[in-house]
Amino acid sequence: MSPAHGLRLNSYLQVHMEEFEASASAKKTKTIYISTVFGIAMVLLMIGLLGLILVHANNLSRYVKENIVLNIFMDDSAHETDVLQLQKQLDANPMVKQTQYVSKELAARNLQKDLGEDFVKFLGYNPLSQSLDIYLKADYANNAGIDKFKAELMKNPLVKEVKYQQSLVDQMNANITSISLIIIVFAGIFVILSVALINNTIRLAIYSQRFLIKSMQLVGATKGFIRKPFLLYGIWHGLLGALIAIIILIGTLYFANQQIPDLVILQSPAEFGFVFLAVVAIGIFISGFSTFLAVNKFLRLKIYDLYR
Amino acid sequence: MVGNSIIKLNNVDIFQQKHLVLSGVNLHIDKGDFVWLIGQTGSGKSSLLKVIYGDLNIAAGTGHACGYELSKLATRDIPYLRRKLGIVFQDFQLLTDRSVEQNLQFVMRATGWTEKAQISERILDVLEKVGLRSKLKKMPHELSGGEQQRVVIARALLNNPEIILADEPTGNLDPDTSEEIVLLLKQISQSGTAVVVATHDYHIIRTFPSRIIKCENGKVLEDVQIA
Repeated sequence: MSPAHGLRLNSYLQVHMEEFEASASAKKTKTIYISTVFGIAMVLLMIGLLGLILVHANNLSRYVKENIVLNIFMDDSAHETDVLQLQKQLDANPMVKQTQYVSKELAARNLQKDLGEDFVKFLGYNPLSQSLDIYLKADYANNAGIDKFKAELMKNPLVKEVKYQQSLVDQMNANITSISLIIIVFAGIFVILSVALINNTIRLAIYSQRFLIKSMQLVGATKGFIRKPFLLYGIWHGLLGALIAIIILIGTLYFANQQIPDLVILQSPAEFGFVFLAVVAIGIFISGFSTFLAVNKFLRLKIYDLYR
Repeated sequence: MVGNSIIKLNNVDIFQQKHLVLSGVNLHIDKGDFVWLIGQTGSGKSSLLKVIYGDLNIAAGTGHACGYELSKLATRDIPYLRRKLGIVFQDFQLLTDRSVEQNLQFVMRATGWTEKAQISERILDVLEKVGLRSKLKKMPHELSGGEQQRVVIARALLNNPEIILADEPTGNLDPDTSEEIVLLLKQISQSGTAVVVATHDYHIIRTFPSRIIKCENGKVLEDVQIA
């Protein structure tokens, strides 16, 4: 929002403040609104934290999945140019994230490094095959995806064997599914609780204005006219609460990155931007909708119900 | 609406939730009428007023108020009915955190007035009628009880109502001030606005004799005489 827009909204809200604050003293009303905004901010902070945890968990799962290696061992008769041609084809495959060519010599050097002795000299020849290391995109890094991919590859006469750690993929996917389920269930419960909390806070704030609402009805104000300033305030409070929550979230992220520098691997500004936008949208929606429901409730009440 | 008729109820039953409060109510109030409404606490006076200002539905019978058919009154029409009524109730006092002028401005904005010049002109006009033009900038706590009630009456006059409904308008006032307020209401009725005053103060009724209707034993009795 530009400063000019902010100023206009502020002055508009100030005009409506008169309709809004009349029955209670300004100080008491301000206290109620400050506590409402902070109540909303705390709930949005929790939602935002959950969002950030989800983003990190999702990126961690993607990171792990995209580091699963498929080793494609080539037939001994295959020429290097044919293998490099195959690598080009694989690079163009939408399932593949990255490929790496490993020549016979490189494979031997790697194994020598691992074993700590020169096995080529001992055997008198290099028994290893040239190979391609394939890293699949996260969406395909499951056994079904890999098996399909493997079947396609095996049709190629250049390919002798495709190897990957099937049990590791099984285990990893099972764990990710369990963790995702737990987070989703937790998020669902949390959102319901959050809505209930914000709704309750707003209902209490509007309860303190019930006689004003009734007075406005008695002089002949339409429901729309009565609702409007309350709704604007509801939206304004949701926005303020969201901004407070986002400031705290950014602080939390900064602190977390200081403590665990490797977290940066799992972070992307676009995804954080999405979480922050979602916090603003949820704040405005829940606060505005709860205000709408609460005001409607008091608009429907008969005068004698106000004293119960 | 027929002729000068402001309120007309024919054989109306009034329920407060599930309880029948008044039955077979017949009532006719014309332009410029001044009517005392009496009856014991709980006899149905407030319920009768609520029907007139659309806070209670008519369970049986027919009626109209200020041109609105009460038995068919749509929720969206209630605000417009109330703009034709002036309400002077005990639990509908001035807003204590703003001046007389701001109290009146608040009501005018709530009822669709937008032009500042017209609002100012109308406020001075109604304050003139109640003799409080000089108190425009005063806060409610700076006014006496009688002056506050005059401002409440001024507020009721803002939208040039066809009828004023006053529930115990002299309830918290001393006898002299009460007489001043009733005198003001009488003057308003003489200028063509009907006035209904619910009260328990028989002394003031005797001082300002007028038509009396009484709520008693679930009925509304017309043209009652008091001892």
